[in-house]
Amino acid sequence: MAKQVDFAAEKALARDFLSNFADANGEAKYFNIIQDVANRKLRSVQIELEDLFNYKDLDEEFLRRVTENTKRYLVVFADAIDELMPEQTEAFQDDDHDILMTQRSEDASENTEGSDPFQKMPSEIKRFYEVYIKASSKERPFTIREVKASYIGQLVRISGIVTRCSDVKPLMKVAIYTCEECGFEIYQEVTARVFMPLFECPSGRCVTNLTKGNLILQLRASKFMKFQEAKIQELAEHVPKGHIPRTMTVHLRGELTRTVAPGDVVELSGIFLPIPYTGFRAMRAGLVADTYLEAMSVTHFKKKYEDYNLEKDEEEQLARLAEDGDIYNKLARSLAPEIFGHEDVKKALLLLLVGAPHRKLKDGMKIRGDLHVCLMGDPGVAKSQLLKHIINVAPRGVYTTGRGSSGVGLTAAVQKDPVTNEMVLEGGALVLADMGICAIDEFDKMDESDRTAIHEVMEQQTVSIAKAGITTSLNARTAVLAAANPAWGRYDMRRTPAENINLPPALLSRFDLLWLILDRADMDSDLEMARHVVYVHQNKESPALGFTPLEPSVLRAYISRARKISPHVPKELEEYIASAYSTIRQDEAKSNAPHSYTTVRTLLSILRISAALARLRFSETVAQSDVDEALRLMQMSKFSLYSEDRQRSGLDAISDIYSILRDEAARMNKIDISYANALNWISRKGYSEAQLKECLEEYASLNVWQIHPNTFDIHVS
Amino acid sequence: MVGLPFDCLSNPLGAVRVTFERAIASGSDPASFDGKDWGVIDVLRECLFDQGALTQVPILDHQSIGWIQPNSLVRFRGMVQDMLGNEFYVGAFKDDSMWRTNKFADVASFPMGSSSENRIWERRLLHCVPVPGQSSWSMQSSSESVISRSKKWMSQHGEKRLREDDAESYSMAPGDEMQESPPGCKKMREGDCHSPLLHEAVAEASSSKSSIEFDTDSNCFSCLVKVYDTMESDVKLNDVFEFIGVFTYNPELMIQMDESDEVPHDLYEESLVHLPPNKVPRLHCFIQRKLAVHDFIHNSPVTEPVPHVIRGAREGLLDHLRSVLGNDCVAAQCVLLHLLSRVHGRVDSAALGKLSLNLTGFSRESISVFGNQLRNATQSLLPFTQSFPLTVEYLNSMSLAPRKDYKTNRLVTGVLQMAEGTHLTIDETQLDSGILNSTGVSNTRLLKNLLECQKVEYDFEYYKMEMPADVQLLILSDGKSNILPADLVLPFQPSAVSPSMNISPEALQTWRWYLSSVRSLSHDIDPEMQKVLEDDLVAARQEDRSLGSQDFSRLLTMARLISVSFGETRLSFDHWQMAKELERLRKERLKQ
Repeated sequence: MAKQVDFAAEKALARDFLSNFADANGEAKYFNIIQDVANRKLRSVQIELEDLFNYKDLDEEFLRRVTENTKRYLVVFADAIDELMPEQTEAFQDDDHDILMTQRSEDASENTEGSDPFQKMPSEIKRFYEVYIKASSKERPFTIREVKASYIGQLVRISGIVTRCSDVKPLMKVAIYTCEECGFEIYQEVTARVFMPLFECPSGRCVTNLTKGNLILQLRASKFMKFQEAKIQELAEHVPKGHIPRTMTVHLRGELTRTVAPGDVVELSGIFLPIPYTGFRAMRAGLVADTYLEAMSVTHFKKKYEDYNLEKDEEEQLARLAEDGDIYNKLARSLAPEIFGHEDVKKALLLLLVGAPHRKLKDGMKIRGDLHVCLMGDPGVAKSQLLKHIINVAPRGVYTTGRGSSGVGLTAAVQKDPVTNEMVLEGGALVLADMGICAIDEFDKMDESDRTAIHEVMEQQTVSIAKAGITTSLNARTAVLAAANPAWGRYDMRRTPAENINLPPALLSRFDLLWLILDRADMDSDLEMARHVVYVHQNKESPALGFTPLEPSVLRAYISRARKISPHVPKELEEYIASAYSTIRQDEAKSNAPHSYTTVRTLLSILRISAALARLRFSETVAQSDVDEALRLMQMSKFSLYSEDRQRSGLDAISDIYSILRDEAARMNKIDISYANALNWISRKGYSEAQLKECLEEYASLNVWQIHPNTFDIHVS
Repeated sequence: MVGLPFDCLSNPLGAVRVTFERAIASGSDPASFDGKDWGVIDVLRECLFDQGALTQVPILDHQSIGWIQPNSLVRFRGMVQDMLGNEFYVGAFKDDSMWRTNKFADVASFPMGSSSENRIWERRLLHCVPVPGQSSWSMQSSSESVISRSKKWMSQHGEKRLREDDAESYSMAPGDEMQESPPGCKKMREGDCHSPLLHEAVAEASSSKSSIEFDTDSNCFSCLVKVYDTMESDVKLNDVFEFIGVFTYNPELMIQMDESDEVPHDLYEESLVHLPPNKVPRLHCFIQRKLAVHDFIHNSPVTEPVPHVIRGAREGLLDHLRSVLGNDCVAAQCVLLHLLSRVHGRVDSAALGKLSLNLTGFSRESISVFGNQLRNATQSLLPFTQSFPLTVEYLNSMSLAPRKDYKTNRLVTGVLQMAEGTHLTIDETQLDSGILNSTGVSNTRLLKNLLECQKVEYDFEYYKMEMPADVQLLILSDGKSNILPADLVLPFQPSAVSPSMNISPEALQTWRWYLSSVRSLSHDIDPEMQKVLEDDLVAARQEDRSLGSQDFSRLLTMARLISVSFGETRLSFDHWQMAKELERLRKERLKQ
């Protein structure tokens, strides 16, 4: 098949590459590395295939050969490096190894008859560095499933999760024996995991004298290498439906040991090799081959926005998206596209994902940039689905329920480690979601202790703990997305929002946006629902959305790009925001039943939302339109709670009449109201006498008040 | 048998070899076909299906393993319980100048020189078990004629094989190679019965001490199936398959497994070590076919679904269910619909077509009467049924979900690893108050998830993976079950305890056939009917605000199942009315 490869020529090619390769800055990259190795600053030389690809005198055939027979070329490159190895330019302490080496080379020069292959010092023993060839990171890494028999011997890049790791053990590279008879050092190179030790001295002197010299293995002189075995498993998202994740054995050597731990999501480049069977197994060696990956490099996946690396084509796609004027709506609609409507809620969630930059003032005070959003609503309005979808989109997100979290709870707990018996600090959901998003479902059903702790998390963004002698404070820079049911399970239209929202105002004020999602009773939405269900049953798929939602990966890329921007508020807008804020305060002061408490927190919220909107436009400055949209969202969020038309709707007339009567009674400080007075008050608000009667009866049956049977006068109990 | 130089049934590897050599001789290069089939499958297909030899192939189970000859053709019916990944093997190698193949074999049939050119191919390993909860009536065992044939074959086979082997081992020139090859190779060849003298000894040994060799019992019989040339998407976890292939048994491989401890492999315990060949037989699969429920019904009485037959079967079955359920007509109808339900589609997270049933109003006394009757009835009607009592200890101690054990690299099965279409009865009347530990909590969550989404989360320690399931869930409880929210809640109102009835086997067969064939019917809703449905649903919701999309979905599923139970493939207005009527009756009962 292949013609014989001349490895001497290959070595020359490798040498040429190593000495002449210049990186983007024109530096002789590998030459510098080799110099560092000579000075014992580095212990490994990592050759990147990409550099080989970019090399000016690229020989494509050579590149292909390196990729397809990597194991062999490791040796080629190592030999080339040996030849290139310069004199050390910096002094360093000789260690045992060096002393031994000096002694050996003196021995060797004395002993000129070193023609015996066993006495010739293998170059391996002189090396104090390791060579790795790293696969190009241009293409998508393989999943374990995709690595087939045809890849054996080749350099591949694989992503997976580490499931098991063995201890790090020494692996013999060169066994060194001394002969009892002739005193020579005998070298034996070990390439497999198991080797057959030598027992008889093969040196020329012993053989000619026919003395079977006893060999003693010199552990101290032998060369060992750190060796670790690990198992990786396919990531859940790479497993086809109805299949079981595959696993693969990985061998980590030398400097790569201890770089992975179970649970790590890693990307490995390595050589896919069959395991040479030894001993008894060798007999059927030809039949079944076990395989492993000889790791060449390990990269940990980071799931933070900050570390999100954009591919080139992604960058272009984002630029195109950003030019689209409607990007804000488009992104918002692409969040949970299967959930119908709720556009403003989705906009709020999009802003939560984007967030505003954190500010650190000169005096050390920090102002959070994370937006907190609370969704409140009737059961079955897809709150939980929204939450879960957001977690899916966010690179780092934790979904938990107020009650569902374990002993550690939401914040943190001090626990005794069962193995070491030491007290260890274990972070809860909020700590785990640091720099990400924490979605808390059933927020209203939270434990009291967690609820108090959450106050600190939401404003200071830390979790302080003082338990079992451990006093510390953990970072919890997380955006909180809470979902809660109203106080009585369903939203009761007859009660005030404050009564329905079963959360203390101190907590509520920490949310930048609070949305009420109600299950409204109207014909259109019912028909919409019926249609949807029938359609789904008939066609076994969701009805078309009328637009193509953006892929979650695109969404994620866009958001991570947006998060890199830190917009500022220009001078001329400051005035505008200040006046808008004061108007809200004024309105609130004027209205007799303030719905909300506008505080400085509200002002910060406006700034945060505006900054997040500016980020979405990839703009460094906040524009007036951003502020307007922020104010609109806040207004809408308020409307969802206190919408005027709801109070006017037929269903709510009764409770509105009740609140009018109650308010008037309270204002006049009376507990008895005459029917005539009551009628007078309510007709001013546009209600009829029939409605008043209905209200009186209904609330009388609830024992809220007593009605005089004849005069219909009201006695508020 | 039919002019072929080999007997497909007793010596399928001969067929493999002959066809391989034929393919090589006709000029194909082993490097080019990369392990793809070279015609052996066609030969076997022709033999098995066209010439009807399939019935002559013995079925591998815990009984037949005693007398089935190694290297002969067998069938195995089971569920894919675990996928052990790929195995790389030397598929073809050059022996002097001849290409040989190792496909469909555990050990090389010819010694391989270390220098010889070879090709590495891959095959997939599947760990298969008999379908959990399989009813005894659906088990198929090897027919008498196969057994007697096999016994006869055994008695005369020494002689017969001798002739065959002579023919096959001409090219080997045994003496020369013996010296070159290490002693192990000799042993390998003996294992594959190529030295005529030893072969007889092996054959005798396997027939005389078969009970010692195979240390299997009926509860945990499993089979390691090695499949070739299949698309990955063809075989999925929990699928029920019939595998036709070579049954191999190589005792010396087992010895190796035992001695593999000598070499300290930390992580390197392959999963195969835990499946020794004397416990788990190996099967090299030629042909696999996915089995549906009706494949488990033997000699089905009717072949064509004729309307009047279907109606007749429906009436009969409904009567039977009514007498089982103490003359409760509504319950009988609901149970019928429940037995017909299956997941026929998934949209977003919802599973369409599922209809779990919760019969309430059972006391500890009535459960012993009706619960048992119902369980027996389902067992005799459906091929795969399971049941368990829901108690606090059960929840706290059992591992319901399958879990990956990284020490052995195996998927440890759980109660909820079930084949598609399994019926599961959960008896909640046994539940007392108590405290659930974390296992219990996660188990209840699993059950709830199974009820709501027809999905089971398999625990892979570092992440969970949702596997789709299609399980008919029947919950028997005192009050409405809150732990297990079923689609259909119906208070059970028996009026009479019927004496145990005698049902003719023919009737049972008809009902089994009815259930399996009607269940797989496709179903459609006309646009005009859709409009009617939409209007009715909106009207219902205007009346009762508490109706949600789930209730709508349930009504539509009921309508579909009613229509299907009559063997119809289009929803008619009458059947929609029937569904609404049934729902009304049910609602009425709930109010009482």
